[in-house]
Amino acid sequence: MTALLDHLLTTPLLAIALTLAAQAAGARLLQALGAPAWCPSILAAALLLAGTLALLSIDYADYRRGAAWLMLLLGPATVALGLPLHQQMPRILALWRPLLACLPVAVALAAAYAVGIAWWLGAPPEILAALAPKSVTAPIALGINAQIGGPVSLMMGGLLITGVAAVGFVSLGARLLGIRDERLIGLALGLNGHAIGTVRAFEIGPVAGAFASLGMSLTGILSALFLPLAWRLLGA
Amino acid sequence: MPALRGFLWLLGFLLLGETLVTLTGLPVSAGVVGLLLLTGWLRLHGGGLDDIAAAAQPLIAVLALLILPGVVGAFFLLDALAGQWTAILAALIGGTLLSVMTTLALMRRLMGEPPAAKEGDA
Repeated sequence: MTALLDHLLTTPLLAIALTLAAQAAGARLLQALGAPAWCPSILAAALLLAGTLALLSIDYADYRRGAAWLMLLLGPATVALGLPLHQQMPRILALWRPLLACLPVAVALAAAYAVGIAWWLGAPPEILAALAPKSVTAPIALGINAQIGGPVSLMMGGLLITGVAAVGFVSLGARLLGIRDERLIGLALGLNGHAIGTVRAFEIGPVAGAFASLGMSLTGILSALFLPLAWRLLGA
Repeated sequence: MPALRGFLWLLGFLLLGETLVTLTGLPVSAGVVGLLLLTGWLRLHGGGLDDIAAAAQPLIAVLALLILPGVVGAFFLLDALAGQWTAILAALIGGTLLSVMTTLALMRRLMGEPPAAKEGDA
């Protein structure tokens, strides 16, 4: 059994098939549950996939090696987000003034709240550094991490927990504050929940998706430029 | 085959982004630079829009699938949080709750209600 599994894992095919199957099964499961807004479909798929890997006792590193073939497409897919951004450009330009005022504050707060809470609870500096880029999309967060330090695995975990939490909290917050505007919801999703939030925003609609792409890319760029600088100034 | 031509456009912008990032040494990802280059290109020139759309739309539709392998990783690195569990989880979840609420409230205040008259739909 293990020999067969090892053999199947020598090519990326098994890892890719498992990923596709988890995605399909997760979508089916959520549909059966009535598509609850607080649970992004990616969370259901990830739980199923993690369970399957544990059940088959496939090492995550082995799975990841095969799935890297899928993740290679993340680069062109990120570039592809430029298309909805272009298509929604008139709506974005109509809002350039509030966006310009709001984005830097929101980006700074996204990092400051988490670092502040962890610092207050007595976390050591390297953990603070790992938490700071929590709302930044993974490839940019890795670049920031290389500059300010902190354990990479913790930083990646922080990104994922943040993304899933952001999806839940945005849908909760929008309901509490009575916000139905897709532009606002999309922006909040992309700004706080990077790629996971952006995926969720495209489920809501094309306008939300475009504003999430905008929020995600601007958060990434602003953080890449100013987070390492702020870190140095704070002397952490 | 518009989708393949479009995919070549995307790869072109990605490689251009990679080149810029490597030359400038900025800690920004090639994908995000490529995204901005593509947006700028479409705005200023608009060449290849149909081809790019044929490749971009299906890719965006499977974005969730593409980030899934990374998301699963979260379940396998929980040991890495050793000892700082409460501080880390409180920071991530509490911090995200606060920043989501601030973002929503701030933007609603600044952006106001959706202007039904000014539609620039694509």
